[in-house]
Amino acid sequence: MTRHDRQPDTWNGQSYYDQPPLKNPHWDWKVSGYIAVAAVSGAAQALSWIGSLRDRAAFQGARRNASAIGLIGSVMGAALLIADLKTPQRFHNMLRILRPTSPMSFGTYIFGLFGTSSALASLGELPAVSRYRPLRWITRLAHGGAAISGAGVATYTAALMSATSNPYWSSAPRALGAQFATSAIASGAAALALLERFSGRTRTARQLEGVAALASAAHAGATLCAKQRHQEVGLDEALSDHPGRRLDAADLLVAGALPLAAYAVDRATGGRSPTAAVVGSAAVLAGGWLMRHGILNTGKETARRPAAAFRVASPCNLPRTDKRRSWIRN
Amino acid sequence: MSLDMRHEAESTANTRIEPGRSYGFFTDTTLCIGCKACEVACKEWNQLPAEDDKLTGMSYDNTRDLSATTWRHVAFVEQMDQGPDAVMPGLQSRWLMMSDVCKHCDPAPCLEACPTGAIFRTEFDTVVVQQDICNGCGYCVPACPFGVVDLDEVDGKAHKCTLCYDRLKGGMEPACSKACPTDSIQFGALDDLIQRAHDRVDALHEGGRTDAYLYGAPDTPGATGGIEKLNAFFLLVDRSEVYNLPLAPTRPASRTAPAFGTGLAAFAGLALAAVALLKGRS
Ligand code: SF4
Ligand code: SF4
Repeated sequence: MTRHDRQPDTWNGQSYYDQPPLKNPHWDWKVSGYIAVAAVSGAAQALSWIGSLRDRAAFQGARRNASAIGLIGSVMGAALLIADLKTPQRFHNMLRILRPTSPMSFGTYIFGLFGTSSALASLGELPAVSRYRPLRWITRLAHGGAAISGAGVATYTAALMSATSNPYWSSAPRALGAQFATSAIASGAAALALLERFSGRTRTARQLEGVAALASAAHAGATLCAKQRHQEVGLDEALSDHPGRRLDAADLLVAGALPLAAYAVDRATGGRSPTAAVVGSAAVLAGGWLMRHGILNTGKETARRPAAAFRVASPCNLPRTDKRRSWIRN
Repeated sequence: MSLDMRHEAESTANTRIEPGRSYGFFTDTTLCIGCKACEVACKEWNQLPAEDDKLTGMSYDNTRDLSATTWRHVAFVEQMDQGPDAVMPGLQSRWLMMSDVCKHCDPAPCLEACPTGAIFRTEFDTVVVQQDICNGCGYCVPACPFGVVDLDEVDGKAHKCTLCYDRLKGGMEPACSKACPTDSIQFGALDDLIQRAHDRVDALHEGGRTDAYLYGAPDTPGATGGIEKLNAFFLLVDRSEVYNLPLAPTRPASRTAPAFGTGLAAFAGLALAAVALLKGRS
């Protein structure tokens, strides 16, 4: 019988003079900004590809816009990532190895693929290129590549945050993956829908808004799962005096209820409330960024709090497969 | 008999240092007297700058925590006995001291996170950051379950204990354990250390210290959630959190697949729905 056999399974409130048990990276808005930009551009390329498969002509405008979003997103994303390094002149060291356990590593390659295929695909919009059949097919293939790698850049960031020891980021890996994916599709659709509205292409705008609405509903579901998990592992209690405890609720409101209501108003009035639809799309985009920035900052707060870090790193929260899960009760 | 300087550790730690074997620290906190000789020896050997920290006011510990420039940290836990059978309630009843350090985890979360390959596992089964490769992405920092590795503001690279990689290469035991006057920090080959540690726990239990237990040795608290062992492990006598250590840390890389897989599946599901919704003109 050793001491730990008699210790309770969960944290009992003790700490080392309330000192932070974990350290935080220097990451700021540049990282949450990158995650949001990657999500919008990846999903926009995927959706424009899907639309083009169904009706190439109708989605020509959306395709061009997605192409521009993909290109700008790739350049901006790379700039944000490099600017965030503390030794930026060594950014190319990211390409020394490929490490499957590190989302930061394999994500760099997915992002590189996305940038390259987006650049190639955008050439297809030039008349000089699309005139030649083989070139045209290469650029269309590249568009497909941008769509598939777009799914990767929009979602690997959930693994990037989950595969850490940060109490908040790591507490709900599956829910976070679903949150990032659903919010990415919603944001990509909302961005394209906004541009379709501004160009007067109402039909495709409304179809894209349909996708954004569906994705927002799915996002609300994913956020509810995350909320439940945050409660289970004890983060709610740990954040009881911090605004971070309301992050999930704010996310449900701004990225879920608000866009759904706005899109519903447009539908209910038979499409006579384009302003409502525009508000809905804007809410999706704002909500997507707010969620990512909120998760980044709430996570940093939980790393500083023994109440959060030690609750999450309790034996009761070990994966069910861990044989040491309940060594303490024996 | 003259001392063979290529194997100095044989005379100071009773170990020959050979590539291919696992080495580590067994820190027996019941022997620590809080002298901080290890902190000083570490700073000296590794030429780490001093911090301009003021007195913390929280305890006699003015180092506070491990950082990019502090690779050994002696924690001072001052406990007041308030319990029902306290002999002198409200008066100091015991001090727990513990010299904290990078755990050289196996597998090591910081290493598994590092996208540049700057962090690697050495021929002595220790975990080291290569300063000429790190680009300061900072990903190792939140990966570490123990809040050890950190970026330095001045040079923009990640730093932590190297288990004196340079000294091991020269056959010498690490500076901290060599300086420890009570042998609270013991350096050695891991299999020897683990055996010695279990024997020590048994001896303490026999002597009535039934609260002694190992943290970070295989199949003990600290070696949980996919982390098989900590090559720098400890003997503790109170809950791990009291020493600022998590009771059940987990291996971050085990969350990569669930997060990415669920994300891709959700993305694909909505993309399928988009195929139905994005009809175009038809
Ligand atoms: S304690 Fe932290 S820094 Fe040390 S090897 Fe483990 S993960 Fe890396
Ligand atoms: S900061 Fe340096 S050592 Fe840490 S993960 Fe990034 S490249 Fe690797």
